[in-house]
Amino acid sequence: MGVLSTSIKPNFLGLLKFLNSFNWFIVFFSLINLSVCIYEDQIGKFDWRQTYVGRIKFSQFDTVSTAKKIIVATEENVLAALNLKTGQVVWRHVLESASTGNIQLLHVTDKVVTVSGANPYLVRGWDSTTGVLLWEWSLMLQKDDHAEFSEWWVQHGMLVHMLPVFGSHLEVSMYNLMTGQNRGSTSKLPAIWTNEGCVLSPPYYSCISGSMGSLLLLSLDVTSNAVQIISKPLSQFISTEESSLRPLDANSIQPGFVIGDKKIVLIKNNEFEMLGISVADESASVALVDSTNGPMVLQTWTDDIKGFSLIAHSASTGKEVTEVRCSDPSLRLPEPELAAVICSKTPRELHACRLLVTAADDSLHLMQQAGRVLWTREEALANVVAVEFVDLPVSDLDAAIESEFDQKEAAKMYSSVWAAFSRRLQTQFQQLQTLLQSLQGAETNARDTSTGLVRDYFNLHKIIVLVTDVGKIFGMDNLSGAILWQHYEPSLDPSGAAVFTRRSARHPPHDAYLTIVGKHEETGNGLIISLNPIRGTLVGERSLQLDVQLLQCALLHRADQEKLHALLLLDRDENVQIFPVSAAPLVENMFIYVAEKNTARVQGYALKYDGRSVVAQKTWSLSLGGSEAGHRIVASSAKPASERTHSAGRVLGDRSVLYKYTNPNLVLFVTEGPDAIHKDVVVATCVDAVSGAVIASAAVRRARALPLAVHSDNFLAYVYYNDKHRRTEIGTMELYEGKQRWLEAGAAFSSLRASRAPAVYRAAYVLPAAPRAAAVTHTERSLTDKHVLFALSTGAIVELPWAYLEPRRPVTPTPEHREEGLIPYAPELPLPAEAVINYNRTLHRVSAIYTAPSGLESTSLVLATGLDLFYTRVAPSKTFDLLKDDFDYYLITLVLGALLLATYSTKYFASRKMLKMAWK
Amino acid sequence: MKPISICVVAITLLGNVYCALNPQSSSTDEDIGNGRYAIEGRVFPPEDQDVSSWQVGTRVHVNGGEYIAFIRDDGTFVIHNVPSGSYVVEIVHPDYMYEPVRVEINSKGKYRARKVNYIQTSQVIQVPYPLRMKPLSRFRYFQVREQWRLTDFFFNPMVIMMVLPLLLIMVLPKMMNDPETKEDLKQISNLAKMGEMPEMSEMFTSLFSGGSTSKAASVKAKQVKKRQ
Repeated sequence: MGVLSTSIKPNFLGLLKFLNSFNWFIVFFSLINLSVCIYEDQIGKFDWRQTYVGRIKFSQFDTVSTAKKIIVATEENVLAALNLKTGQVVWRHVLESASTGNIQLLHVTDKVVTVSGANPYLVRGWDSTTGVLLWEWSLMLQKDDHAEFSEWWVQHGMLVHMLPVFGSHLEVSMYNLMTGQNRGSTSKLPAIWTNEGCVLSPPYYSCISGSMGSLLLLSLDVTSNAVQIISKPLSQFISTEESSLRPLDANSIQPGFVIGDKKIVLIKNNEFEMLGISVADESASVALVDSTNGPMVLQTWTDDIKGFSLIAHSASTGKEVTEVRCSDPSLRLPEPELAAVICSKTPRELHACRLLVTAADDSLHLMQQAGRVLWTREEALANVVAVEFVDLPVSDLDAAIESEFDQKEAAKMYSSVWAAFSRRLQTQFQQLQTLLQSLQGAETNARDTSTGLVRDYFNLHKIIVLVTDVGKIFGMDNLSGAILWQHYEPSLDPSGAAVFTRRSARHPPHDAYLTIVGKHEETGNGLIISLNPIRGTLVGERSLQLDVQLLQCALLHRADQEKLHALLLLDRDENVQIFPVSAAPLVENMFIYVAEKNTARVQGYALKYDGRSVVAQKTWSLSLGGSEAGHRIVASSAKPASERTHSAGRVLGDRSVLYKYTNPNLVLFVTEGPDAIHKDVVVATCVDAVSGAVIASAAVRRARALPLAVHSDNFLAYVYYNDKHRRTEIGTMELYEGKQRWLEAGAAFSSLRASRAPAVYRAAYVLPAAPRAAAVTHTERSLTDKHVLFALSTGAIVELPWAYLEPRRPVTPTPEHREEGLIPYAPELPLPAEAVINYNRTLHRVSAIYTAPSGLESTSLVLATGLDLFYTRVAPSKTFDLLKDDFDYYLITLVLGALLLATYSTKYFASRKMLKMAWK
Repeated sequence: MKPISICVVAITLLGNVYCALNPQSSSTDEDIGNGRYAIEGRVFPPEDQDVSSWQVGTRVHVNGGEYIAFIRDDGTFVIHNVPSGSYVVEIVHPDYMYEPVRVEINSKGKYRARKVNYIQTSQVIQVPYPLRMKPLSRFRYFQVREQWRLTDFFFNPMVIMMVLPLLLIMVLPKMMNDPETKEDLKQISNLAKMGEMPEMSEMFTSLFSGGSTSKAASVKAKQVKKRQ
């Protein structure tokens, strides 16, 4: 008995300890549960994905297999099969984004053959129906010097590689397509007449060569055993001297080319044959296709007046085929090019053609004869550069109600109580009317017009404005992903473009106003495009080209009388331009910084209005790399301009408050540079952009920085690759004022007056994956938890609560830490499958993640761009302000009804009983 | 482990070293003298997956997409033209999880495959090369929605707490009204009234604590004394 009791006693203590730790476990697991994931029946409810392939480089119809497809290879190094009927992706392979994935050749027969890479090359064969890899072999050229001029094609089951050495010779090698065995040795064909203007129309290599005045047109079949050069004086074909060659487009059936954008020359039986058809327009894309009545020449171009034009001629007779002809002024395709054409050869369907047309705006159209578009793909969206979420305007009725309750407006308009009362009645009547209308219009569904674009109750419905690399701007509905409007600006080079919402749609009668600041493609000067983000029409400055290169742009924080925020531009000569000019007197307490990427120099400017114009005064300058040269800025991250922090501090375990250091002017710079001892160092520096003071910094040795940094509230994180341990790590920092507030509650922070340094907590964690993009969730008032979103190379977007990245995670947790809810330190971050917000919808090559607040405090909108677009919404602290979507309305109505029934029935019975009692 | 990897890095930096005798790399894929190697392996399909087209959705990533390989019909893959160095090979499948493997190729073309350990980077647990990648488990992306079941509802403590008193209130008076139970109750009360029948508890106490009464009395006496 005694033995038993002694053995129980310590166990009891142990049990208590266990329970205590178990308590902690409960906290831990409740935190894990914070990483919200969706239910299986919510697939596609809040999210959508659009898959793209990029600008088409090669394309060919797959006519062999039963399901008709188009096989495309793109500039984005993607090989894909598109459904001929719908244009949807049947299968898709994404190759490496670097030059190792560059597709050099696409050849489609019953198999698909690609050559990709840049010395070494990879030759691969694919099954065209399923997309499964059939064979592959690697090919390495001995000489690397001219490899970029290599030409590839397939001829009689052999892969031909031709390497021209201009002005000297051609090197031609042939390989077995399946195995890569070299048939013979490389043959060298002497060709001193070659130059950079030569074109290949397999198997002929053609050039215009010779001295001025006696130019010759030369062609050589490079695969034939006997070297036979076809040579004719150029003057036989064309009168002008200045002429160039270009090959026929769309995998033409016979070797041929266009001379001087005017004449079409084919090569038949080792002879030149000029066609009687002249090229209709200088920019026309010419293709030779097989049809019922022999070969047919197709030409397409865009005329300024007639719009998209398409004509066809019979190659043998030169007669026009009128069935194919089209000229459509409403169809605007900039610089159309025939990518692939197929025409039926059966006499029953005369001139039934399918034309795959690409345009300069990266769009891809499948047309049939006479120019009817069957489907369109906007491949520009595979290369999104900048994104802005724009609020929709409130409906007219809501606007009326808002203005009614606006204090200042009300004071102006209504002199008496009676006026206000009559107005109230009026709006009530209007509300009733719209309610009745909506009940009637439920069937007619008039929502799809642009007038139906009104703000919903929780402001979850927005317009996403996407600026693409090719210069096309899209407006997209965030709920459906449908393109609402598009605007093509050929001269826009949007690398490093900035998008500003200068006026939201909150200020009727003024429309929303959005400005894109980019560069001009040729000159590099500033280019400003202002448009209405709801309708996509140009407004205000419209498309304005500046005559100077820009350094920095910013939005004035004060709006003018029309509620428009002015645009401030700092140009190369350190002059300031302001749009509109009338807003110049509003410039006050405005600071701007300019960071040079390659030299890691940051300069600060103070902008002042001197009575006539705005001037920039250089106030501070900082070299982030210190005295050492070679440092460069990899990433920089400022706080989002719209961020407002409504939580001032954190409550610790002992009930004291640790106040956050929330400096709105803080900017994080991540620099990378060489180091004498440690090879490479990564330095993260927090700079106050107003005063130029360095607030905090951290350095990592033997590491390379990744261009990923997040910064929000009082925390920031940056990602680097640790060369020593060969792993990706994430460095995090948090800044706190301490347990005492520096300023009164509600007082505005001033960078110029702050003399104290905040307390900085730092930590680093191992990220067991390769991140490609990072962002932090963004809500209306920053009261909900912050989660960090990482796009991984595997195609997943992982939502990680900041609680895991927090630098205050203790190594040896004390009870106080447990009470505060801090997770004990663990070097490796967990990336559970539940945290993947795009579940099994893999996203290839995510380049950036954009987040925006919604009207609900709990919910943040997320858009991931890259090769694919993915939109969803996340709720970091769960949807605390919204009923669950599986909320059981029936049960609660049933219960309420039953209770009501029970109440009345018991009342009845009780009264009866009382009556009986009274009679007794 | 550490010195080896360092020397590998050093050699690759000095230049691509020609490797003539390379028994492990296959003979077909390499040109001579370029110092490039091929990583080979085989991916096994998930068992419960329809075998039709898992190869298209599965990719092989090396160092997070620096090199990408595709899977042939039989599940084999080759990553071509890789210089010597250390690489993490991972199989990316949208629905199934595969364990990544670190493959190290030294300048002589010797291969070694080991488990990826980001925490103890020097720890070596070798795995066979050519790689054999088997699916670990299915990704669980979704929360399981709670099904509404009647039993769950009834065994909910709140419901039990509400229903049981209700039962007592409603059912007990009914039982009182029942004539049979009334008789039963009467009998019980009659039994209780029987004076001659000694009460069980009393009987037991008297039986077991025969001497204790005197003790109690003495205690009482003591108390009386104390009061005095």
